[in-house]
Amino acid sequence: MCCNQPVSTTSRPLNRWAIGWRIAATLLGIGLMVNGSVRMSDDVWPFGPMSQYAFSPADDATIVITRVEGQFVDGRRADLPLRVEVTGISRAEIEARIPQIQADPSLLRGVAQGWESRHPGGPALQTLWLVQDETHLVDGRKGPTRLVELASWTVPR
Amino acid sequence: MTRPATVGDSIVNWFMPVVPQARIAILRTVIYLFVIIDMHLIVRDPIPLSRQPELYSPLMVARLFHLPTPSPAITITLYVVLWVSCLVAAANRVPRLAGLVVAAAFTWWTSIGMGYGKVDHDHLALMVALWVLPTAGVVAGRWRDTEPSARAGWALKCIQIAVVSTYFLSAITKIRSGGWSVTSWPNSAILMWAIIRRPHGLGQYLMDYPMLLRGMQWMAFLAELTSLVVLWLRGRALLVAALFWLSFHVFTVAILYIHFAPTLVCWLAFAPLERCAPRVRRVVASRRERAGRGAARQPMPVGRDQAVDHRS
Repeated sequence: MCCNQPVSTTSRPLNRWAIGWRIAATLLGIGLMVNGSVRMSDDVWPFGPMSQYAFSPADDATIVITRVEGQFVDGRRADLPLRVEVTGISRAEIEARIPQIQADPSLLRGVAQGWESRHPGGPALQTLWLVQDETHLVDGRKGPTRLVELASWTVPR
Repeated sequence: MTRPATVGDSIVNWFMPVVPQARIAILRTVIYLFVIIDMHLIVRDPIPLSRQPELYSPLMVARLFHLPTPSPAITITLYVVLWVSCLVAAANRVPRLAGLVVAAAFTWWTSIGMGYGKVDHDHLALMVALWVLPTAGVVAGRWRDTEPSARAGWALKCIQIAVVSTYFLSAITKIRSGGWSVTSWPNSAILMWAIIRRPHGLGQYLMDYPMLLRGMQWMAFLAELTSLVVLWLRGRALLVAALFWLSFHVFTVAILYIHFAPTLVCWLAFAPLERCAPRVRRVVASRRERAGRGAARQPMPVGRDQAVDHRS
């Protein structure tokens, strides 16, 4: 590979084999993409369905925003923004693990460690809550919002 | 004696159009440099995520190849390998080997980034691009290689198909998710839902106009559904279509802060990139002349392994 190839090899017409595998690969790729979109889930990435924002919420749908709140040893309670650079993990990753976290709230340890390692010198975290802001749509317009607590975990010291 | 073109010929010509090799060489440079940007700005979390193995649930591609559960050692190694292989491949050196290393390493890297529950859909075209770019082989004259090549043409065609499929299959998924109904998604409250979840910039001002949001949903849906046409457009019509989709993405950034940068960069597979190289050379040459260094006989250094019989 490191040696130079004469230019003539690059411009020579493709032989039957070179044409054949390319067309087969293209058809296989198209088949995988269509199959993924029509009957598979995100699991078959990168050939999964383009499901981001692809569902159809009704005019009275409930919209939830998942957050993690923390209480520090100094008594202050604050939102711990679920972004990689702040807590080491993003909101979508936490949202995808809500049932696991509810079953085992100690999984919030990752968020606590992520926060504390990025905020050295700040007050330590005492308790973490997994919460959701629930907004109700009314006739397709934004309605009232309420806070729902899903899990809590006290940091063992 | 030439035989008349058959249907088979025209199918082959469609899948493997003959294009100047410079087009693939320039696209390689752009795409491989983009991968470096991508792993810092887009799929940027595999290293921190790999410190939380208990939250990892491998995607099918990871299970298929028995990829180990990510650890910091693995993700940091992938990061270094990606830097090196991207730089080599962007320089069009050992394009098959370097390109395949980038393709494999970035597929693994991204599958880790998406292996924690959230899967994004903006990387399809880029993944296809990374796996097909090496097949075009060595481009001896790099950015200036005017040699016609069907290998390069096939790689570009695959990327074009993947770009357009990203839109078309989005429409199919929307129809599927609504129980195979064509009207359920465009008539839904999806944009309102998205804006409430991501209150950003322009979106917040549109919240008071649900009917306007619905009209935008219909426009986006119909554009996606008819996007396949782009594969058969040429010249000015293709340019108009590309500009339409570019403005579509600018718009989604403005109201939702959702960009499809990895798909956007792959739109370059439609562009006659080889026309850039002489233009850049002219600009560079005139700048040098103005800077009083016009006497230099060789405005571009000739690489040691550049073909001597290169025609330009």
